[in-house]
Amino acid sequence: MNPLDGGTLLLLLGWGTLVALDLVSVPQAMYARPLVAGTVAGLICGDLMIGLQLGVLLELFALDVLPVGAARYPDHGPATVAAVAASAGAPWPERMGTAVLLAMLLAVLGGWTLQRLRHLNAQALHGRAAALAAGSEPGIRALQWGGLGRDAIRGLLLTALGLAGALLLRAFPPLPLRLQAVLGAGAIGCALAAVAGGAVRSAGRGARFHWLIAGLAAGLLIALGLG
Amino acid sequence: MNTPGRSRAFVRLFAIQGDWNYERMLGIGMGWAAAPLLDDLRTGDPARHTAAVVRSAEFFNCNPNLAGLALGALARAEQDGVPGEQVRRLRTALCGPLGAIGDRLFWAGVVPALSALAIGAVALGAGAWAVGLFLVAYNTLRIGTGWWSLGTGLREGLQVGGAVGRSWLPRAADRVGPVAGFAVGLAVPLAGRWLLRGLAPTDMVLAVFLAVGGVVLSRWGGTHYSAVRYAMVVLVLLAAGGMALR
Repeated sequence: MNPLDGGTLLLLLGWGTLVALDLVSVPQAMYARPLVAGTVAGLICGDLMIGLQLGVLLELFALDVLPVGAARYPDHGPATVAAVAASAGAPWPERMGTAVLLAMLLAVLGGWTLQRLRHLNAQALHGRAAALAAGSEPGIRALQWGGLGRDAIRGLLLTALGLAGALLLRAFPPLPLRLQAVLGAGAIGCALAAVAGGAVRSAGRGARFHWLIAGLAAGLLIALGLG
Repeated sequence: MNTPGRSRAFVRLFAIQGDWNYERMLGIGMGWAAAPLLDDLRTGDPARHTAAVVRSAEFFNCNPNLAGLALGALARAEQDGVPGEQVRRLRTALCGPLGAIGDRLFWAGVVPALSALAIGAVALGAGAWAVGLFLVAYNTLRIGTGWWSLGTGLREGLQVGGAVGRSWLPRAADRVGPVAGFAVGLAVPLAGRWLLRGLAPTDMVLAVFLAVGGVVLSRWGGTHYSAVRYAMVVLVLLAAGGMALR
């Protein structure tokens, strides 16, 4: 496996923090999507292919999520960065199952931290209630930058925890090959369940459902044609 | 409306969710983004400016990519001297429609469609280029929409609701759903084939079995089911079973 030196870990920490900020706060350019977060993390680790593979796999989970308003949803971005760090340099699917498990745990934790952040932002709001009532622009600016700062800290801590988990996984000897393959198949099966379940749910019974079936048929034909 | 103010407000729209909270939701972000648009009032009518700043940071929620419509319309209303209560009513009235259209257009349409197309392209060998194209395509769409939104809001003011109804937005939101459905359907078998390559046939059968089981549970598992929870349970059980059998 590729060693993860200090410089690589620092870059991953910075990338994970940016990715966490992108999910909600700024700029929502979609680099928090696992597909992007994983690909860039793979580039940083010197293993683009594992970044793409884990990015695609975790993107299938993210496609199940509708990040609407006050809904609670997993934060897959930093989780993907950690998963790539955990398995960079290992042949596919070695370490993939355990990396996905780490990603799932982090994604759930990330979703919880997002809820906490929103409560903290509300508390900060109470602290500046008088300034807001007086129409203070500096008060609004301080709240805005405070919220961004808190989310950056959230992303930094979440990524740091994820990278610590990744280093821990890398320190352990790999699981037996057969078990790794079974875990890998399990992770892929669950990812396909996530995207397919989400697609069926959001399609309802209208035109979108018919187009979903048409797309599925076309995808199957292409996949079978490619052998 | 001064052009530098519009440009600064547009840039600030990218961080409109920077202080998202359960009390005012996007309110503080709206207030922060509105500041450059309200600057003209500061010298002309300071009392109106103060009242407008107070209103600008009150509760607001909608899809962030369409927030420019509300931001522009509310700033225009303040500039036009519309009574404060009427500005508040406009603010409240815009939340629902802009949230519903924006969420359908972006979160349930554009994002899954582009993401699924990128997944399919990666699975067919396009590599990281597909990921780059995904980013470029999405950001071109959202930046274009954001600029149009702010301009439309500033131009229409109180009439923004009618302008949205006559615009391309409702039609686009209707049409992108089927496109997203087709793209996601296309991506599932391609991603499955690409990810499963190199695994033994028995492992492939296991993956398909778990995929079908997950879809069934997601349909009839009620609120207890979530894809992430399902994956964690499956992976822990497989790991524990494998270790026990060693």
